[in-house]
Amino acid sequence: MSYQNYVIAAYCVFAAVMLWDFIAPRLQVRQQLRAARLRATRVGKNRPNEFPLSRE
Amino acid sequence: MHPVVRWFHQLGSPPYFERFAARWAPIAYIAGLLVMAYGLYGALFVVPADYQQGDSFRILYIHVPSAWMSMAAFALMALYAAIALIWRIKLCEILAMACAPVGAAFTLITLATGSIWGKPMWGTWWDWDPRLTTELILLFLYLGVIGLYNAIDDRRNASRAAGLLAIVGVALLPVIHYSVTWWNSLHQGQTIRLFGQSHMDPSMLPPLWAMVIGTHLWFVGSLLARARADNLRRESGKDWVAKLAEPRA
Repeated sequence: MSYQNYVIAAYCVFAAVMLWDFIAPRLQVRQQLRAARLRATRVGKNRPNEFPLSRE
Repeated sequence: MHPVVRWFHQLGSPPYFERFAARWAPIAYIAGLLVMAYGLYGALFVVPADYQQGDSFRILYIHVPSAWMSMAAFALMALYAAIALIWRIKLCEILAMACAPVGAAFTLITLATGSIWGKPMWGTWWDWDPRLTTELILLFLYLGVIGLYNAIDDRRNASRAAGLLAIVGVALLPVIHYSVTWWNSLHQGQTIRLFGQSHMDPSMLPPLWAMVIGTHLWFVGSLLARARADNLRRESGKDWVAKLAEPRA
């Protein structure tokens, strides 16, 4: 018997888990950088004006 | 200061580690992938079928390296956790916690591929055999470390608590290794030896060693990538992260 189906199933499991292992940290890094970008934008918006409004 | 010592000190700096991990993780991934591609080609197309097990023995080429990696990752995690607890090195906390998901992934592969091999060879998907049971406990330990780390808000306290679990859990590793000799196990004994003669035909060994080296290189890549993500998460409020996140023109 060749047990080909079992071999294919085992290698598919291996490939799927390795693919997840490759993608998951990439998504995390992207998410952290996006959060940092949004935070920087928010901080920039909330910063008080450097020049006070003129009364003239 | 000696350049190597200075490099170690520099590596402890989060921005320096970010640059280091961003540079070396892809290289380790690609090297691991190439070596594994060679190993997989040999395992599937070059090595002859086993005279008793037929083609099903080809599952061994992913099962054994994953099993070794699952235990090596746990030992490394415990080592990093111990260094982090003793010397309070933040980078070691990050690296210890980055070991857990990769180790869990390899443990899952080990259990799943072992189960797939067990169905045609043993006639069952699962048996409460000492080796299988202890490997399943290893997976639960990994999940426990990951769960504990994510359950506590303060990153440093979380990594200390989870690190302690990793250090205690390392006692399981010799039990897994010697389970086939201590108890009357359905799982076969040690066939492949790092040192000394293996009970496997020499023609079948080169793809296996390639897979062992390939999975180790992959582990390094994944460890650096995950440590990089955690490093950015911990340093999220710092200026250097904001600068890094700035869209490039």
